[in-house]
Amino acid sequence: MIKVFKYTLIDLARNRAMLGYALLLLLVSEGLFQLEGDPMKAFLGLVQVVIALVPLIAMLFTIVYGYDVLEFTQLLAVQPIGRSAILGGQVLALSVSLLLAQGFGLGLPLLVHFPTRVALVLTVTGSALVLVFSALGTLIALSQREKARGVGIGLGVWFVFVLVYDALLMWLMFALSDRPIEPWVVPLAALDPIDLARIMVMLEVDLAAMMGYSGALYKEFFGSTGGMAVALGTLMLWIVVPIAFAFRTFRGKDL
Amino acid sequence: MKRLFATVVPFILFVATMMARVVPHAANGAVPLTQRLKEALPGDTILVSGEVREGTLTIDRPMALIGAAGAVIDGDDAGDVVVITADDVTVQGFTVRGSRISDMHDNAGIKVLDRARAHIVDNFLDGCFFGIYLSGSRDAVVQGNRVVGHPQRENRMGNGIHLWHCHNVRILDNLVRDHRDGIYFEFVTDTRIERNKSLHNLRYGLHFMFSNRNAYSYNRFQDNGAGVAVMYSHHMEMRHNRFLSNRGASSYGLLLKEINDGVLEDNEFADNTTGLLVDGCNRFRIVDNSFRANGWALRLFANATACVITRNLFVGNTFDLSTNGDLMLNDINGNYWDRYVGYDLDRDGYGDVPYRPLGFFGLLVERMPYAMVFSRSLLVALLDQAERLIPTLTPLAMKDDHPLMRMPNG
Repeated sequence: MIKVFKYTLIDLARNRAMLGYALLLLLVSEGLFQLEGDPMKAFLGLVQVVIALVPLIAMLFTIVYGYDVLEFTQLLAVQPIGRSAILGGQVLALSVSLLLAQGFGLGLPLLVHFPTRVALVLTVTGSALVLVFSALGTLIALSQREKARGVGIGLGVWFVFVLVYDALLMWLMFALSDRPIEPWVVPLAALDPIDLARIMVMLEVDLAAMMGYSGALYKEFFGSTGGMAVALGTLMLWIVVPIAFAFRTFRGKDL
Repeated sequence: MKRLFATVVPFILFVATMMARVVPHAANGAVPLTQRLKEALPGDTILVSGEVREGTLTIDRPMALIGAAGAVIDGDDAGDVVVITADDVTVQGFTVRGSRISDMHDNAGIKVLDRARAHIVDNFLDGCFFGIYLSGSRDAVVQGNRVVGHPQRENRMGNGIHLWHCHNVRILDNLVRDHRDGIYFEFVTDTRIERNKSLHNLRYGLHFMFSNRNAYSYNRFQDNGAGVAVMYSHHMEMRHNRFLSNRGASSYGLLLKEINDGVLEDNEFADNTTGLLVDGCNRFRIVDNSFRANGWALRLFANATACVITRNLFVGNTFDLSTNGDLMLNDINGNYWDRYVGYDLDRDGYGDVPYRPLGFFGLLVERMPYAMVFSRSLLVALLDQAERLIPTLTPLAMKDDHPLMRMPNG
């Protein structure tokens, strides 16, 4: 597994798309901080980038890479290496390189221009999002034989998490607005990893507004250690479950 | 004879003034302070050292009661601690404590009843029920006092500095904390409040009721239940104050309720749940203030009319503006909004397209507070943008026609 990890990592380090992604992130972050006079405003722009763009790129990259290294994977599979070791090494290498790219493109500018608690929260939740969507991407790439289909499903999944789920939830809120649905809104939103990450950042940024009418609700859910554990546990599940399914698929897969 | 009289009487008075004595008084000596107060001549100064514990002290003639370093007056839970019932009394330099908490009487550390020109300076009011209490007084000065309640018994505390039916008082350089209202004004006119700090009070940092022509400036109001409430008053001036971290469900930095003809200028609102709440105000000028990182920077109710809102700074607020109706009869113009994305082709410093501070999401949260979960999501960003391009839900008049392109200096 270590060897697979090492060679995949070396391969990824030479991958132009990965380098381009890291540089693009750096450009966007730096650009925001240079253009905006107020670092807080730049930071809020970065929040949008992390919430919308980072999951998309993490997932698409994982999917495309999964198809690109298929021949190499086949070659590895005929060697006396266990399948779990192959996939484990590849997933680990992908995760590490995506996190490194994000650390370089996002973490570094934040550290330089905006070293605050909120920035740390964004970095951590952003990293969690990378892992979640990389895991989902792995599963998609393994369960679809055709590349175009895999990429399409990936786009669809991203679209659901970033927009459709929220729209459905908002529609539900309107539809049931005369019923006591308040206690359900936060837990339901927290089922979506992107929403969960966003809420965790927002609890830092919009704290003043959060202390308004519904403040008690959020405090109840996230303020308690139990709530925070549930939030982190949900994120962990979003990483572990797809990966587990990916391993199962890969073990029984006819390469 | 008459002439002689006219010469001699002023002379005698002059001599009497010159002879005004300074009487040192050591607590726990042979003579109690109560007796010294009874024997004092008008204009005397009593210099107290040590800890006086004689129940309520009443000062009923013009004089000065000065505390040496470490001087304490303890009311021993008898009721009020120091009561002033004469003009021209100075109380300075004491630690005052032990006014009884009561549901029937407003027992205070230092109380002035219906008199003029009291000077209450540099005292420390330690856990008094009411701190400094002026009733029916005029031309008084309250300066440099520290008025601190009991943080544990906050819900049983009275007001820190309490004024009732007063005129022309100056409240300067005081620190008030852990009381019910920090500074409370009812039926008070022509008074100035400057450079005070009002922190951690249960209700308001500063509270005006039916008090006209007052000015407060250079004060700091922080971590109070609600910052400042100005109600049912007219001709108020508020300048250079800081309203910070007043957080909670119904909390705000500054509440203006039924205020006519006032000025709010050069103030700073930061980290409040609601920065400024304007409810039923007429002809009020809101100019050159900065609103940063508030939940709602400005809540402007539809019953406010002819208010002028200009050259204010709105940065990093969750919501810049909200309202509760369709009517907008105020002049919002030339403010800086950090969310504005317009352009300025004629280079006059003002954006060429109006800014609509009220978004779809703001309205949504107004109706369904728990919709806050969607804050900063892609969905909300899209819906907000759509509403700004084609306003259908937000009041049409709710806009800034000439938003500033750059932050005003300072």
